[in-house]
Amino acid sequence: MDMFLYLDKNTIVHRLDPRTKVILLFCSFVMALMFTNPYILSAIAAIIVIYGVMGKSLANLKRIRMILIMIFLLSLVLWSLSYKGGSTQLLGPITLEGILFGVATGIKFDAMIISGMVFLSSTKMEEISLGLVKMKVPYRGAFAFSTALRLVPMIVSTSYTIIQAQSSRGLDLKSGNIFSRIKKYIPLVIPTILSVIRNTNVFAMALESKGFGYSEERSNYLNIYLKKNDYVFLSLGVLLTIGCIFIRVVGIVN
Amino acid sequence: MKEVFSMWKHTKMVVLVALCAGLYAALLIPFKAIVVIPGITEVRPASALPIVFGLLFGPAGAWGAAIGNLIGDFFGSLGAGSIFGFVGNFLFAYVPYKLWHSFGFKEPKVIGKKNVIMFILIAILGSMACALFIAWGVDLLGLVPFAALGSIITANNTIPSIVLGLPLIILLYPRVKKWDLLWTDIVDESELPQGGAKSRIGGYIMIASILFGLIAGLVTALGGGQEMFSFAGEAKNMMVAVIAGIGSIGILIGGAMQK
Repeated sequence: MDMFLYLDKNTIVHRLDPRTKVILLFCSFVMALMFTNPYILSAIAAIIVIYGVMGKSLANLKRIRMILIMIFLLSLVLWSLSYKGGSTQLLGPITLEGILFGVATGIKFDAMIISGMVFLSSTKMEEISLGLVKMKVPYRGAFAFSTALRLVPMIVSTSYTIIQAQSSRGLDLKSGNIFSRIKKYIPLVIPTILSVIRNTNVFAMALESKGFGYSEERSNYLNIYLKKNDYVFLSLGVLLTIGCIFIRVVGIVN
Repeated sequence: MKEVFSMWKHTKMVVLVALCAGLYAALLIPFKAIVVIPGITEVRPASALPIVFGLLFGPAGAWGAAIGNLIGDFFGSLGAGSIFGFVGNFLFAYVPYKLWHSFGFKEPKVIGKKNVIMFILIAILGSMACALFIAWGVDLLGLVPFAALGSIITANNTIPSIVLGLPLIILLYPRVKKWDLLWTDIVDESELPQGGAKSRIGGYIMIASILFGLIAGLVTALGGGQEMFSFAGEAKNMMVAVIAGIGSIGILIGGAMQK
């Protein structure tokens, strides 16, 4: 089962340095957060989608489409019903301004999530880890982060094995309402946690036997460095962000 | 607070960070689709884990909760709020274990009325600390009103951490103790909590900061037109930002005083 979003392709975005992609991710968040105008936010979302097209990452939109749709619809409904300060009454508490605010908030959240998806679709876990180290995150922290990422599918797989074992012993996980079903999962969580934690001592010994922690500086098989395309993308990203800040501060658009 | 950074020199603690993060993320991800606040939070039975990891593994549990939450965000809700989610979930595990030791409790053997009551109290305070920081940050960004997020996260974290966390820690403690994996058995003596009057004062400052930041923040937000458990009202209320900010900083000051 492939839980991760990474798509193994060779595109201009895939070849960017992970540090560049982290900065671009951050710039997209800053741009999205600055506005509540649905038209500007749509333009920002369109830029992010174009970036995703360049990275051939939009195939993953299918995998997260339910999350994106739910977020947009919930934002629209919740903000339409609760927004105060609108003057154009439509139906009951719903105003045109509330609907537009709901639409804008939905687009904002979706834009940030798509930006995150493009980052994860075009960046390997090893590159994320190495990028963190190059950005002066201590190696041990980056190691813990990348190890945790690798462990998630293994832990999910272990829990499925435990579920099958308990189901074969008569545990019925499919019947009942959501609360009773959650309650039935509790006895499955303990063996999952214990089977993972049990390996701590052996894992630590294996790491130390290979020199983990011997030196603060560590050489890597994978090497990353900034290239011409990185500077081009960084310049574009930073200029766009500065442009958005200028528009917002001067008050041309909200 | 020194142990939060010095723990990284112990390989076992680094491994525990990775394992706790992996477990937390693995339990968060299946429930990402059951959204409570779009793009921010969802139904979280996994909220039982930070307090358990914090009490058993100390700072490794806190870092694990933070990293695990971030990894969980990779699966559908990675956004600007993730930065505050990282720190908030760190506090969710950090506050319980600091208070547990500062008020004279040694190992996390949650047996007996006194220990159970203390567990419930620190579970509530840990949940509130997490809610305070995240609601403050997301309100500052103008995404979701403080009153909505503060109340929802407090409830969403408190219920699983008490209902599910209590049986978990009772069952896990004997085995973790037997395997010499309690954080107090791994770190150096100089990194162990020392207790004493200064630690208790730090504990009281931490508790006061959490209660002030969240409750006063909620009262101010409600006065400013926001509503609990609802999206009514606008985010970016300056008074709320100041109050919640003071509370958040107070938690860190209280933590630094607790040795």
